[in-house]
Amino acid sequence: MATISFDLVSPENLVFNDEVGTIIVPGKDGDLGILPGHSKVMSSLRPGRVMVYSEDKNLIKSFFVSGGFAEINPEKCIVLAESVVEVNALEKVSIEKEIQELENKEGKESEEKLLVAKAKLEAINVNYYDKI
Amino acid sequence: MPSLKDIKTQINSVGSTKKITSAMKMVAASKLRRSQEKAEAARPYSSRLEEMLSSLASSAASGEGIIKLLTGTGNDQNYIVVPVSADRGLCGGFNSSINRETFKLVKSLEGNGKIVQLMPVGKKSRDFFNRVMKDQIIESFVDLNVSSTGYESALNISNKLQELYFDGKFDKCILVFNKFKSAISQEVTQQQLIPLDVSNSKKEEEKENSSNAIYDYEPDEETILKDLLPKNVSIQIFKVLLESDAGEQGARMAAMDNATRNAGEMIDSLTLKYNRTRQAFITKELIEIISGAESI
Repeated sequence: MATISFDLVSPENLVFNDEVGTIIVPGKDGDLGILPGHSKVMSSLRPGRVMVYSEDKNLIKSFFVSGGFAEINPEKCIVLAESVVEVNALEKVSIEKEIQELENKEGKESEEKLLVAKAKLEAINVNYYDKI
Repeated sequence: MPSLKDIKTQINSVGSTKKITSAMKMVAASKLRRSQEKAEAARPYSSRLEEMLSSLASSAASGEGIIKLLTGTGNDQNYIVVPVSADRGLCGGFNSSINRETFKLVKSLEGNGKIVQLMPVGKKSRDFFNRVMKDQIIESFVDLNVSSTGYESALNISNKLQELYFDGKFDKCILVFNKFKSAISQEVTQQQLIPLDVSNSKKEEEKENSSNAIYDYEPDEETILKDLLPKNVSIQIFKVLLESDAGEQGARMAAMDNATRNAGEMIDSLTLKYNRTRQAFITKELIEIISGAESI
């Protein structure tokens, strides 16, 4: 089976760069599963999990991104994310605390932050896509 | 004629200055390496973003809402100039060249009848413009600490700029910053941030036009563009901050290297003077003894 090259880029650095089998990205209108030879798509992303799989469908890494863009063509997939954390590195307790704090605040900015924090919590709790 | 002791103290004090400047040079050199790595690490993101933007730019038809970041307001009466300087001095002409260039730019814009406001970034330019053009400063950003929280600072600046822009406070935004050319040279550069200048990337787009034309957009081009444009402003500022930070360290390294060399030269000439004076004293004493002995 063929591979597709995958770049995960944050403003600070290049987080991930390798040949992989499959990638799942959280597109704005729904998750996108990307296999080698995918048609050309440019999509904006919602906060959620970016999952990276090897050729034989084993999960290599899962990242949490707080939004961004994906550019996909048959040979390459590039994800530009605002902030990237590995899902394993997220701490449930501190996120729950953050959500509580943000829920008491008002204003557009904290609403957006709340959305991101809730998506983080979901990213820890859910396990679909762990096997594909 | 200074006494031997005076010269000795002078040599000692120049010697300790030399130690300080050479230590500062070392520090700047190691910081420079780190800043350079940062600037390089940030490059893939900004270049990708620019590519995306240039392939989308053509779809910006209407000049409403966020798209205005690309198309402009249609006026060019009100300007905002953002000089990016360092927070600290002792880096040669780094800060003063920014201030001078900005000052010239503001004067020439005003000469053409434009209204110019300032938003200095960094202590050194804030202090300078606080002295000469206090009324035109609308906001200033200092203590950015680019190496650790650079992106957040960039976000703050870009949010403020966009807020002002959509309030109709200005039509054009120009950044003045030191572009990092090499470890020892920086170039004062002006960059138009708002509205976005896509003329450079356009050429590349034409080359790749055949491959770019057939992208599918999700949700659609306009929505993506609306997300992309504000982000691009932040990223451009971030890039400028990083370049300026690397430039600052480079400038400081060069300045401190010069200072160390000057101190070394000064010590040499002072030591020569010290030895000559000492010799002169000995000779004088000898003459006194001999003439004293002769007279007996």
